[in-house]
Amino acid sequence: MSSYKIVYSLCVIISMLAFSGCQDVTDELAGKKPDDAKTIKISMIAKSASNPVFLSAKRGAETTAFNLSEKYSMIDVDVDWNTPEVDDPSIQVTKIREAITDNYDAVLVSCSDKDSLTSAINEAVESGLHVMTFDSDAPGSKRFSFYGPDDVELGRTIMNELALLLNGKGKIAILAGSEKAPNLQNRVKGVKETAMETPGIQVVGEFYHAENEDEAIEEMLRVNKMHPDLKGWAMVGGWPMFGKKMLNVIAPGKYKIVAVDALPEQLVYIERNIVQVLLGQPTFKWGEIGVEAIVNKIHLEKEVDEVIPLKPLKISIDNLGGWSRQLRAWGYEGIPEEYFTL
Amino acid sequence: MSKGHSHQTAAQDKISNGQKFAYGLGSIVNNLLGGAIGFMSIVLNVGLGINPALVGTLQAIPRLTDALTDPVMGYVSDKTRSKYGRRRPYIFIGAIMVGLVFALMWQLPPGNSEMFYFWFFLAGSVVFYLFYTMFATPWVALGYELTSDYHERTRLMGVMNFMGQFAWISLPWFYAIMENDRLFTDSVQGARTLAIVIGVFVAVVGIMPAIFCREKFVASDDDKKQKVKLLDGLKSNIAMFFKGLVITVKRVEFLKLCAGTFFLFNGIMLVGAFSSYITIFYVCGGDTDMGAKYMGLFGTINTISTLAAIAAVTWISAKIGKRRTFIIATSITLAGSLLKWFCYDPMAPWKVLLPAPMMAVGMGALFTLMGSMIADVCDLDELETGERREGMFGSIYWWMVKLGMALAFGLSGYLLNATGFLVEYGGAQTSSTFLWMRIVDVIIPAAAAGIAIYAVASFKITEEKSYEIRTELERRRAKKSNAELATKPV
Repeated sequence: MSSYKIVYSLCVIISMLAFSGCQDVTDELAGKKPDDAKTIKISMIAKSASNPVFLSAKRGAETTAFNLSEKYSMIDVDVDWNTPEVDDPSIQVTKIREAITDNYDAVLVSCSDKDSLTSAINEAVESGLHVMTFDSDAPGSKRFSFYGPDDVELGRTIMNELALLLNGKGKIAILAGSEKAPNLQNRVKGVKETAMETPGIQVVGEFYHAENEDEAIEEMLRVNKMHPDLKGWAMVGGWPMFGKKMLNVIAPGKYKIVAVDALPEQLVYIERNIVQVLLGQPTFKWGEIGVEAIVNKIHLEKEVDEVIPLKPLKISIDNLGGWSRQLRAWGYEGIPEEYFTL
Repeated sequence: MSKGHSHQTAAQDKISNGQKFAYGLGSIVNNLLGGAIGFMSIVLNVGLGINPALVGTLQAIPRLTDALTDPVMGYVSDKTRSKYGRRRPYIFIGAIMVGLVFALMWQLPPGNSEMFYFWFFLAGSVVFYLFYTMFATPWVALGYELTSDYHERTRLMGVMNFMGQFAWISLPWFYAIMENDRLFTDSVQGARTLAIVIGVFVAVVGIMPAIFCREKFVASDDDKKQKVKLLDGLKSNIAMFFKGLVITVKRVEFLKLCAGTFFLFNGIMLVGAFSSYITIFYVCGGDTDMGAKYMGLFGTINTISTLAAIAAVTWISAKIGKRRTFIIATSITLAGSLLKWFCYDPMAPWKVLLPAPMMAVGMGALFTLMGSMIADVCDLDELETGERREGMFGSIYWWMVKLGMALAFGLSGYLLNATGFLVEYGGAQTSSTFLWMRIVDVIIPAAAAGIAIYAVASFKITEEKSYEIRTELERRRAKKSNAELATKPV
C-alpha cells in the first residue's frame, strides 16, 4: 500500500469518526429545530404605528428575534406587532390584557401614559408574563427592565453641547413642550442644573407649548422678539423641526440650537446650519435591546439590569452622512440621497 | 530565469505526491495550532468572565517566550544526529505532545476565580507553545530540505500553502461550534470538547510528516561524532548557538525575504479589522447583518482566490522565476489595495467584493514563494559556512512572522482609536473618522506591498544562481563522501 493511500484512508476514517452519530450536526446544517424547542412569543406595543421612530424599533425587534432564533436552537422568538395606529393609552392597556389571554411570554411596551399602564403591566406580570418597557417607562410597575434615556442626564448633555457652541457665555432659552410630560420636565431640570454650573450662561426662561410644529415655532418667535440679545436655544424636543417651516423663519447661524431627536425630516436643519447639534436616539436598538433582554431573562435565565441606559448620539454636520446612512440601515425613509455620500 | 528557459526538475529531485500530501498535512496542523487559541480565547472572556486585558496578556506572553524557544529549537534540530534524522523525531513527539497539552489546557474546571483561570491558562499556554515549537520548527525546516531542486521546492510549498488554507477556513467556525447549544450546554463546555477533538486531530495528523516524509540530509560519520560534541558542554553550545544566530540574521538575502514578508503580511494584517469596520459602519451604514453578509462573501471570494493564486503562482514561478512572480503577485495586491478606495461606496455596497481576488494574490504567493526562497538561501548559507541550518532560518523567519502578527493585532486597536472611531456611534461616525479609516485601510497595505516589492526586488538568488550553488554543493558533498570512504578501514 502506498504512503498516499495510507494517509488517504486515515483521513477518511477520521472524518467518519468525527461525523458518525452526529445527528445534531446534520439537523443543525438543515436548520431544523429539535422537537422540544420552545417558542418565545413577544407582544410589542409601541406608542404609535404611524410614527417612523417605532417602525424602526419594530425592525430592530424582528431582526434580533430572527438572529436569536438562528443562534439558539432551543428557542424560536416570535415578535407580534400590537401597536395602536395612533397614540392611545387605553388601546395599549387592551393589548397588554390580550397578551395575557393569548398566552404570550413577554410584552415589550413603550408607555403612552405610565399611570394608565401600570396596573395592566402588573396584571401581566402576576399572570406570569415578563414585561419590559422601552423609550417611555412606567417606573412604579412590576416591569423587570427599562431601556431608554436618563432624561435629567439628557438635559445636561443638551446644555453642555450648547455651552460649547456659545463658548460658555450668553443668554439662552429652553423650549420645553408640554408642561405635564414628566420626561420633558426632567430634561428641563437637567438643562437648568447644568446652566447654573456654567457662570457665563443665563437662562431667560423655560417655554411650554402644545407639542406641534406650528405652536413650537410661534413660541420661539415670541421669545426671540422678547429677548433680542438671545444667543441660543436648548430644545428638549424637536417640535419646530417636524416640518420645513422653520427653514424660512430662522436665519442660519443666528442662534445656536441644540435639540433632542434627529429624524430624517430634521436633518436639513443641520445641513443649513440652523440647528448645530441634534441628540439622536438609536431607535432600532429599542427593539434590539428589548428582545435581547427578554431572551436573556427567559431563555438564558440571566440577571437583567432594571434600567439599561440609552446614550443619545450627537449629530452635527460632522457626522450627518454617517447618521443618514445609519437611519437608512434602521429602515427610515425620506432621507435626502445626497447625504449618503457625505 | 536569466537565459529565457527554465530548468526541468530531475526525476531524483521530485518529491512524491504522497510525501507532498503528508508534508501538507503538517501545514494544516501548524496553522490550526497557530490560530486555534486566538479563535477560542473569546470563551475566556465571554464564558469565564476573564478581563479582556488579561486575555490579551495571555496571548502576548507566549510571543516573548517564542523569541527564545524558536531559535533554540531550530539550533537543536539542526545539530541533532539520529538514525531517524534531524527533524522527524521532534515532529513525531511534538505533534503528540502538543495535541495532548492543547486538549488539557482547555479543561478549565468550573467555579474558580478569574486569577485561577489566568494562571491555569498561562501555565498551559507556555507548555503548549513549547511543544508547538518542538513540532513546528523542525517541520518548517524539513520543508526546506525535502528537495534540492529550485522549482520542486516551490511546488512543495504550493501544496503546503494550499492545504494549510483549509485550517484558516475552519478556524472562523470555532466560535459557532462552541456556542452551539444543540451540542453543548455552554461555550466553556464547547471549548473543552472542541479542544479534545483538535488535540486528537493534531496528534494523529501531525505525525504524518514524520512518518511519510524522508529527510534528504542524513548524518555522515563526521556528523555522528558531532553528536558527542553536542553534549560536551553547555557553554560551547550556547556560544555556537549565538554564533549561528548572528550568521543567520546577517545573511542579507534572508533579511530581504524577512522584510518582504514582514511588510506585506503585517501590512495586510494591521488593517484587517479596518476593512470589516468600514464595510459594516460606512458602506452598510451600521447594518451589521448586511455588513456581515458582505464580509462573509468577501472572505469566501478571498479564500477561493487564494487557493487559485497558490496554484497559479506555483505554475508561473516555474516559468519566470520566484522573484519576478513575487513582484507581480505583490503588485496585484498593491493595486487591489488602491482599488479599495473606489470600492467603498455606500450607494453600491457590492463593490466591496471587487478587490477581494486581488488582495488574495499577494498572500497566496507570499508563503508559497518565501518558503521556497528561504530553502535557496539555506543552500547559499551552506556554500559559505559549510553548515545546513534550515532549522535556524525557519525558526527566525516564523518568529518574525508571529511577532509581527502580534504587533499588528496590538497596533490595530490603537490605530482605530486614532481615527476617532467610537463604537457606540455605530454607523454615525464623523466624516473625518471614516476618511481616516479609509486612508489607513488603503495606504498601509499599499505602502507595505511597495516596500515588500522593493526589498525582494534585489534578491540575488536567481534560478541560474541556484543551480550553480547546488552544483558546487553536490561537488563538495561528493568529495567529502569520497574522502570518508577512503579513510574507512577495510
